[in-house]
Amino acid sequence: MKTLLSAVAAALVAGLMSTAAFAGNLILYTSQPNEDAQATVDAFMAANPGVEVEWVREGTTKIMAKLMAEIEAGNPVADVLLIADTVTMQRLKEAGHLMPYKSAEAAAYDASLYDADGAYYSTKMITTGIIYNSSAPMKPAGWQDLAKPEAKGLVTMPSPLTSGAALIHAQTLAGVDGLGWDYYKALAENGATAAGGNGGVLKAVATGEKVYGMVVDFMAIREKAKGAPVEFVFPAEGVSAVTEPVGILKTAKNPEPAKKFVDFLLSEEGQKVAVKMGYIPARNGVALPEGFPARETIKVLPVDAAAAAKNAEADLKTFSGIFGTN
Amino acid sequence: MPNTDEIACSRRGASRAPAEGPDAEGRSGFKMLERPLRVLSKARRFQWLRLLLGGETADGAGRDGEAVPAKLPKALTRTLRGFEPPPMPYAAADDLPERKTRRRGAGRRFPFSLRGGQRGGGEPAWLMLFVFCAVFLLSALPLIRLGWAGFGGLVEGEAARVLFEPATFAALRNTLITATGGMLISLMLGAFFAFAMALTDIRGKLALSFAFMLPMMIPPQVTALAWVEMSGPSSPLLKALGLAPPLGSPQPLYSFSGIALLLGVQHAPLVFLAVKAGLAGAPRDGVEAARLAGASPWRVFRDIVLPLSFPGLIAGAAIAFVSGIGNFGIPAILGIPASIETLPTLIFSRLASFGTATFGEIAVLSSLIAVVSAAGLLLQQRALSGRDYRLIGLFGANAAFALGRLRLAAEALLWALLAVVLVAPLLALVASSLVPAYGVPLNFQTMSLHAYGEILFRQSVTLTALRNSLFLASAAAVGLLVVTVPTGYLLVRRRGALANLLAILIEVPYALPGIVLAVAFILIFAAPLPVIGLSLYGTIWIILAAYFSSFLAVSLKPVMSAFLQMDPALEEAARLAGAGFLRRTRDVLLPLIAPAAGASVILVFLIAANELTVSALLWSAGTQTLGVAIFNLDDSGSSDLASALSVLVVLMVIALMAALEFIAKYLPEDVLPWRN
Repeated sequence: MKTLLSAVAAALVAGLMSTAAFAGNLILYTSQPNEDAQATVDAFMAANPGVEVEWVREGTTKIMAKLMAEIEAGNPVADVLLIADTVTMQRLKEAGHLMPYKSAEAAAYDASLYDADGAYYSTKMITTGIIYNSSAPMKPAGWQDLAKPEAKGLVTMPSPLTSGAALIHAQTLAGVDGLGWDYYKALAENGATAAGGNGGVLKAVATGEKVYGMVVDFMAIREKAKGAPVEFVFPAEGVSAVTEPVGILKTAKNPEPAKKFVDFLLSEEGQKVAVKMGYIPARNGVALPEGFPARETIKVLPVDAAAAAKNAEADLKTFSGIFGTN
Repeated sequence: MPNTDEIACSRRGASRAPAEGPDAEGRSGFKMLERPLRVLSKARRFQWLRLLLGGETADGAGRDGEAVPAKLPKALTRTLRGFEPPPMPYAAADDLPERKTRRRGAGRRFPFSLRGGQRGGGEPAWLMLFVFCAVFLLSALPLIRLGWAGFGGLVEGEAARVLFEPATFAALRNTLITATGGMLISLMLGAFFAFAMALTDIRGKLALSFAFMLPMMIPPQVTALAWVEMSGPSSPLLKALGLAPPLGSPQPLYSFSGIALLLGVQHAPLVFLAVKAGLAGAPRDGVEAARLAGASPWRVFRDIVLPLSFPGLIAGAAIAFVSGIGNFGIPAILGIPASIETLPTLIFSRLASFGTATFGEIAVLSSLIAVVSAAGLLLQQRALSGRDYRLIGLFGANAAFALGRLRLAAEALLWALLAVVLVAPLLALVASSLVPAYGVPLNFQTMSLHAYGEILFRQSVTLTALRNSLFLASAAAVGLLVVTVPTGYLLVRRRGALANLLAILIEVPYALPGIVLAVAFILIFAAPLPVIGLSLYGTIWIILAAYFSSFLAVSLKPVMSAFLQMDPALEEAARLAGAGFLRRTRDVLLPLIAPAAGASVILVFLIAANELTVSALLWSAGTQTLGVAIFNLDDSGSSDLASALSVLVVLMVIALMAALEFIAKYLPEDVLPWRN
């Protein structure tokens, strides 16, 4: 009994100490999968000893909700955001939540990939294409194939209510002639489901619960390399792309380490970390990871960022209306 | 001095009707203490988690040897009793005018008063004040705040809009379907196990009970993950056996029946406990008489046992239903991929996807859950009201039915059931934590410990979550004792309207779904606190506060049992010898309740360490709990990591339960749910 109590007391003290020690770290909110987020943070901490990083991972939409709730409560915790898409960043910038920071690394980037005032910088290219199980009877080549009867009830996709990339993807396809929201309606009628994030899609297709899915490129290509029975195609009509921008919050309690973090992500070293994880780097002159076609062969569909930002709420509602409320 | 022998006998009166004079063996009252007060603890052995600690109203004064009307109290979750409360420990002598020590069930009603001075058992007035304030802050305040927000929603017309949304209707419908289905499955499983354990002579009851309680202790999202890994086209287990369904077959668990099945498995132990507690009060001599008169075992079961287990069944059904309504982990993992939203997952996704402009909306939705839960509990009360389950005679239908040659078959069936609902999913969980990538068949060549390495040595989130969960669980477990020890003491020593009110207040937060409580705490702490100007929202303290409120009832239960078993004579003697309240507490009360307090700490720790529903809404950077970490890993597509972490959590649960089992001999009889 006594030993039990003293053990509990020790646990309590340890808990208190560690909670207290947690102040003063750089806090990162990100939508990267856990392993990638950890690897990014580890690489940064190795390059900048003395900076401790705490990070939180959720789908972009959810992480934003969390952040907005904190701002509402007057206690935004995050210093740095690393989320899926520039549209969300643009909205944050317009609401005055971002700190402008001119990084010297920006010179190596295409001007379209960062905000002129330095509020946010794209760090990589993430396209959304089609993943299918290796034993699938039909090999899809374009988006329309997913609405064919052969794929009835076998298609899944991430929900824009969770994933930022999925929202941009839906907004991109909705703006393409010959696809549009009608395409999504056709998918829904074909029994396609939309739920959760990209990870769930990958799992469902790899495990054979579903046969076809829309998913971000790196996940599928990386999992295939690990031996999972999946294939990835860049559809003929083109792919949507998000650029995973990083930005510093105006309310950041640790602005200096935050700037270091941005510089690191944009540096050649940081970009190589991303390539190693299987992402297309945003920085010029860095080679694409294994398993990807050459950069110029990937057709990226255009999206009007300003319109996308303005219509995000309405498009979410449209999507929910087609696929139910998730 | 009163005759201790007389006291001793009177305390055993219930099991010997009618009582006859001093104990033939001349046992002293102190000796009696070493023996657990079986009658009382039987009487109080009910649904161990959601008991309502309001004792019977003090109008059934019992005399030796007479059964006392076991009025079904307002307590919505009490099970069958037929017991006789012990009489007053002392003849009401006039020589000690301030002595108003009352035992539970004792004669008259003594309303509380907060007047100072040495009242009642001689506890100082500040004690009552402290207990009342603590309970008010932990229980009443969140509910009032939620009710206020809900009411505000009504006034602004927000409520009407939310309530008539198709999404709300769908979620309400789904919640009712899955909770009802889960309830039926829980009833079948739980009642079957309870009847087998309580009435037959099967072997290995302790091991069976222990294993059967496990699903309740394992976090629901882990259960869901394990089952998902067990079934479906990619199940490593089924693949290894060559039984995997063909490609493209939907995961069968992503459906209403899947959610209901898992809710059923998760909450079957609750039914099991309720029914078993009811059967403990079944009259053994009645069963024996019927058997001697030549009734067949089936007839005895049908005519005697079944009718008497009815209250336990109803209580168990109500608890399973309410738990199903509030469950978040299972519908989150199984329902979201199938687009089946229940009320808790709807609240979660609203909060997660549309930001905080919808606090009013969320308050309305959680009020809706609260109303549905309350309706379920009221139905239970209706079903039990107007019946009288008073019993006399010997209790405990211990092994009333000898199975003979059927025994081996029955044991095999029970273990086979456990293998399906517990062992197979856990094996699948282990298997899926060992696969190198999705969809790869598991064998000795492909097996990899990558997931364990990742979560143990690379993922900082695991360590953060582990640290937070350990801190939260131990702080809640130990901190709650500060509240529950005085509360238990007061509730046992005093009776009256105020005590009953306290008991109900303590119970409500636990009976409400965790998600409702979490919303109430967000509403309280979202705005900066007055005076200090700090906002607790987004810190670990808001989770701790919610845990305090949520687990108050869990922490109180073992402590209360210990106080119920304590002879007031001990404290009385110390008092007559001139010991003050604090001195008596230190030298008499605390040593006697220490084992129960230890059990209380472990129970709360066990439940809090695995909690998801409350922390799912309240976590923030650096304050993730284990439950959140598992859920989030699965959400980001790393279900191998989620499985690995779940395996470690399950091991922790089993270790803690084993620790409880280890100290069982020092505990009051009805503290550990799997022992009898």
